Amino acid sequence: MQTFVTERLVWPETASHLREKVRELVARHGVEDPVGRANSWAKPDPQFSRLLGAEGLIGMVWPKEYGGHERSQMERYVVLEELLAAGAPVGAHWIADRQTGALLLRYGTEEARRRWVPGMARGEVYACIGLSEPGAGSDLAAVRTSARRDEEDWILSGQKVWTTNAHHAHVMIALVRSEAGSTRNEGLSQFVIPMDAPGLSIKPIIDLTGGHDFNEVFLDEVRLPASALVGQQGNGWKQVTAELSLERSGPERYLSSMALLVELIRHAGWDRSEQVENLVARLAAETWTLRMMSAGVAAKIARGEDPALEAAMVKDLGNAFEQAMPELVQAVVDVDPAGPEPLGLVLGHLLQVSPSFSLRGGTREILKGIIARGLGLR
Amino acid sequence: MNDEQRMLADMAEELFASLGHTATLENDWSSIEQVALDGLLLGEDDGGFGGSWEDALVVFRIAGYHGLSLPIAEAAIAAAVARRSSARGTIASHTSGEVAGGRFTGSISGICCGEGAAFVVAPSPAGGSLVIETAALGLEAHESVAGETRHAGTAQDAPVTLVDYDVFAMGALARVAQVAGALDAALARSVEYANERQQFGRALGKFQAVQQALATFAGEAAATNCAAMGAAQAMGRRSAAFAVAAAKLRANRAIGVGTSVAHQVHGAIGFTQEYPLHQLTRRLWAWRSEFGNDAYWSEVLGRRIVARGAENFWADLTASDH
Repeated sequence: MQTFVTERLVWPETASHLREKVRELVARHGVEDPVGRANSWAKPDPQFSRLLGAEGLIGMVWPKEYGGHERSQMERYVVLEELLAAGAPVGAHWIADRQTGALLLRYGTEEARRRWVPGMARGEVYACIGLSEPGAGSDLAAVRTSARRDEEDWILSGQKVWTTNAHHAHVMIALVRSEAGSTRNEGLSQFVIPMDAPGLSIKPIIDLTGGHDFNEVFLDEVRLPASALVGQQGNGWKQVTAELSLERSGPERYLSSMALLVELIRHAGWDRSEQVENLVARLAAETWTLRMMSAGVAAKIARGEDPALEAAMVKDLGNAFEQAMPELVQAVVDVDPAGPEPLGLVLGHLLQVSPSFSLRGGTREILKGIIARGLGLR
Repeated sequence: MNDEQRMLADMAEELFASLGHTATLENDWSSIEQVALDGLLLGEDDGGFGGSWEDALVVFRIAGYHGLSLPIAEAAIAAAVARRSSARGTIASHTSGEVAGGRFTGSISGICCGEGAAFVVAPSPAGGSLVIETAALGLEAHESVAGETRHAGTAQDAPVTLVDYDVFAMGALARVAQVAGALDAALARSVEYANERQQFGRALGKFQAVQQALATFAGEAAATNCAAMGAAQAMGRRSAAFAVAAAKLRANRAIGVGTSVAHQVHGAIGFTQEYPLHQLTRRLWAWRSEFGNDAYWSEVLGRRIVARGAENFWADLTASDH
């Protein structure tokens, strides 16, 4: 048994050039706010997104015909890890770049592709994900939001919840029940919904830090043209599952707390305690290993494989690592998590938001279930 | 894996599975020599196979998987460092004493299967490694907690050859590869047992608590395998100081999680001498100490990172990709 088939990692020839380019862009834009650095892929900054779009760093693997740049998956991976490691504010375009653009290019109608994808590649059009509902959290197959036919059009009704950045997004891809009376993962379809569609309304959900990323999205008889159906009618579950592999395997699943490690190393520069140095080593070893794993999954995706099991392991380990880090730092460093020192500020922020790391994008329990099944249990 | 590595893996798999954990130096070393695995890392010009560290990882991992107690990794490293192919050499983890004018006075310990070895490669007190004839060391034998033979010895003004290799790091990487294999084997055994053993009218593997524990174990085994691969690649680039430290540290941490889940899933039967779990878990516990425990590698790695500073951390991590 080898649960994670390893292979030699081959980085693209252009990697060091791309790294330099991203580092230069980030330095020029500035990422001074330490809490912002710890919130990299949740923090929207349209100005930075447009800058990246202009530099050809969004939609890197998409066809040029749709505004993409036809670069390789590993080149894209290099750019992503550089942005995250620097704590750059990539939240505005993150979802569009990671999954929505790819989904539309693969399954969307020509009309939908032309309408949305080029703007995404420019860093001007942002997306959100309409999966969870009040009665469908981990149990996603329980979605009840419905789509019914009205001649050529579709009429959507229902509610989505925990929709990150719905209030900044231009478009949502929603999983809805398109066949009345269907149950579980049958009869589901994906639709592309403009956020300014009549009948769509957004209500903020304030998180425990006082921050606003989450929203409720209400769909009240929202009328959409036939071209809004993404992929095959009734094929929604399969499409979403493939999309989740993209959502789960990226470097954001272990780099969310990188700002804390960087501040800890800075702190260790003058607090020469053995305990702090040991913790730095432990966290660095974990970071280095997770990078090998995450890049390994990226290489498999680049070859067209669907490493769902490996992706689940990377996310589970990555989340456990990110989540443990604030507590470990708090245990060895005497710093006020309310600030004003940068280390304290980052620590205070991550202490409060890290519980969400093993919830978003698939809970720890769901992931471990996927891994167990992959091992041949059940 | 490339084609050559796949052939190497098939050959090692077949041979090591047949040898198993009961193989001994006296009875079975000739079967290793027959297929020249002791010359795996030795250059072709010196009469070896000329393999890379990635090739070695394939073989050492499978040796760990089958709980093999033959010193294949030790012999392969010793031969490569000393550039000797004629007789089996081995490696040691600790040296104290002095080297002056090509002569060594002091003691060497953590020698793996020293008896019958022609020479020993040990860390040199002045950096790099020293090669010493075993005959110059009065050997004392003891057993590791896994029952593997280890020796210590002292030398008085004995001639040594100094070489510019870090045998301690090489030993650490070999252990990481073996740990990766042994963890995968213990995981496979645990999954098999959980699917067979019935309690409360169903297989243990049907219980969610058992499933989740084994999933956690799988993540640790996967991390160790990836760390081993990363370090083997770095060793090939000869820029492995960071990678080996990180990999051994990561592997050491995985051992705790993996062995405790394996034993918990097996229940009392896994605690018996008869049941073949302890050949894996006892080795894992012994290997956690050998060639650097957590404290050792933490100090090496932590000091290095802090000295380089926060601004260089990520740049250094990615600079060694090529």
